[in-house]
Amino acid sequence: MSTPANPFEQLAYNIALQIQDGQIVYVGTGLPMVGAMLAKKTHAPNITLVYESGGQDPWEGPMPWSVGGAATFRRAPMSMEMAHSFAMAANGFVDIAFQGAAQIDMYGNLNTHFIGGGFWDFRSRLTGSGGGNDLSSLSENVILVGLQDPSKFPAKLEFLTSPGHLTGGNSRREAGLLGNGPVACVTQIGVMDFEPESKWMRIKGLNPGMTVEIAQACTGFELKVPEQIENIPVPSDDVLQVLREVVDPHGIFITFPPRVR
Amino acid sequence: MPSKFTYNEEALENLRIEDASILDRLIDDESFREGNLKKHRGKVDKRITLQEAVSKYVSDGDIISDTGFSYVRTPMQVYFEICRQQKKDLQFIGSPNTNQSYVAWAGCSKYSHNSYIGAEMRGTDRNYSRMVKDGRVKVLSEWSHGSMGLGFKAAQYGAPHIACKQLLGSEMLKYNPFVKEARDPWSNDPVVLVSALHPDVVFIHCQQADRFGNAKISGPAVNDIALAYACRKVIITCEEVVPELVMRFDTKDTCIPFMIVDAVVELPFGCLPGCCPGYYYWSREWWEWLIRNALKSDDTVKDFLDYWIFTTKDQFDVIEKLNKNLGGPKYLHTLQRLEKAEEYLIEDIGVDFSYEPVIPKTE
Repeated sequence: MSTPANPFEQLAYNIALQIQDGQIVYVGTGLPMVGAMLAKKTHAPNITLVYESGGQDPWEGPMPWSVGGAATFRRAPMSMEMAHSFAMAANGFVDIAFQGAAQIDMYGNLNTHFIGGGFWDFRSRLTGSGGGNDLSSLSENVILVGLQDPSKFPAKLEFLTSPGHLTGGNSRREAGLLGNGPVACVTQIGVMDFEPESKWMRIKGLNPGMTVEIAQACTGFELKVPEQIENIPVPSDDVLQVLREVVDPHGIFITFPPRVR
Repeated sequence: MPSKFTYNEEALENLRIEDASILDRLIDDESFREGNLKKHRGKVDKRITLQEAVSKYVSDGDIISDTGFSYVRTPMQVYFEICRQQKKDLQFIGSPNTNQSYVAWAGCSKYSHNSYIGAEMRGTDRNYSRMVKDGRVKVLSEWSHGSMGLGFKAAQYGAPHIACKQLLGSEMLKYNPFVKEARDPWSNDPVVLVSALHPDVVFIHCQQADRFGNAKISGPAVNDIALAYACRKVIITCEEVVPELVMRFDTKDTCIPFMIVDAVVELPFGCLPGCCPGYYYWSREWWEWLIRNALKSDDTVKDFLDYWIFTTKDQFDVIEKLNKNLGGPKYLHTLQRLEKAEEYLIEDIGVDFSYEPVIPKTE
């Protein structure tokens, strides 16, 4: 028996489960990368990974340290340009893109610009959009990844960097954006999705030990609660072994509590 | 001074840009073309030193583009030299634009056209955050990677602007004078128009170039092919200058033609402490030292820049300090080995990618 999954390992597993075999997956660094690698090593061996700097379809090897680094173009048949990599999304060749953010609202809109004030009087300026806005605007499906707490999941963003379902309903399509927008939000609590009509975030499944009350306490807006909530399984020993020994053998991303890296 | 173009008014107001003429040069297709017509056309030996290139081609107030990808094939040694020569009032543009942070602190750059500043999971850039907050750096436009990339592509292809689906519904539309929401004339669907972008000067680090400026990039080109065509002054820095016949007999990876290149600088290790595909890995220790420790306060930034930039004269002095702090002469070889192993150019079984998370200290 392996030791039980820690919260990061469960999160990586839940991310992996969002991926279906055969898909083209757009990944950033951190836990989405771990989840994508885990999927590739378990149920989805035929996925293709693409990266914003232009790397695509790298030969398997070590975990990328950067979305521009060598592991993203390791023995790749070809490498492209940034404008091409986002054009692939616009043209319908990106099935899933993962996104994190400093703030996520109930419609899956994201803020990666600043927190703690306005454009001029913020407490902390963050990275800006990077490729986040492009992926949100252009990919077929967006999966949000985050650690859920009320400040990171507020009712109102301090800045709308990347569009989710905007103001809900049909507003995303009316704005002219492409794709389905966010279809899931994976956190340490479980997996949320979005109500088909209103596009408001709702609980889809809860991780072992989590409850609706805990989920709500970790959220700055009201979560919709469906009649049926899935109980998300823990990863099997086999999956944990792949995660710990093959995907992230140095425990860089899945050690809990996180270590300085 | 009256501006030459009609900018997105809401963005000018939100960004508190009173004199919009500061924006003109970035999208001035006409003066870009005129400048190109006046460029020296001859196929001549364009090699000069880095010191000469920065002195001659970087003027105070220029719009300079960051290149590569933050620390991947990014000519960091060029930015170090810009700091040493104390150029003033540069506008930085870049997708990503990570290297502006320390150049701005060194007093060389006041303005940003941003899509991203930071080092991914290594954390946000507290120095840049402070400098924007207290007004030492003023943001002139907010971008996504893809929309800025399309601005460079429009310039490369000689198109005045390009229509795209990025930025729709984002508040960045209200903080970018160079983009406008419009309707597609055929479908009537909402689109965003992105102006062609022409930065004044760009340094593009290539693995190889010949002495005329034909250049090869291996690994992701990011925005650099587009930038080579989009910018007014183009300087190629390279690991190696190769004979012209290499370019003629092996055309693989050649992507920049000599005609558009103003100067060639042979600059081995020019991306350190970042990485150069095929040559060397980035110094993760150095970057973490920067992001986690050195960016904490103005004092720590000052110490860091004094040590790495203002008391070095070139990349070899930097290498000496990297070696000294990070394990001796073997360190540079380790960086070379890690890059080649991660690219699988050499056998990677047995190559250890782990490193001490201890952040080194200057003495």
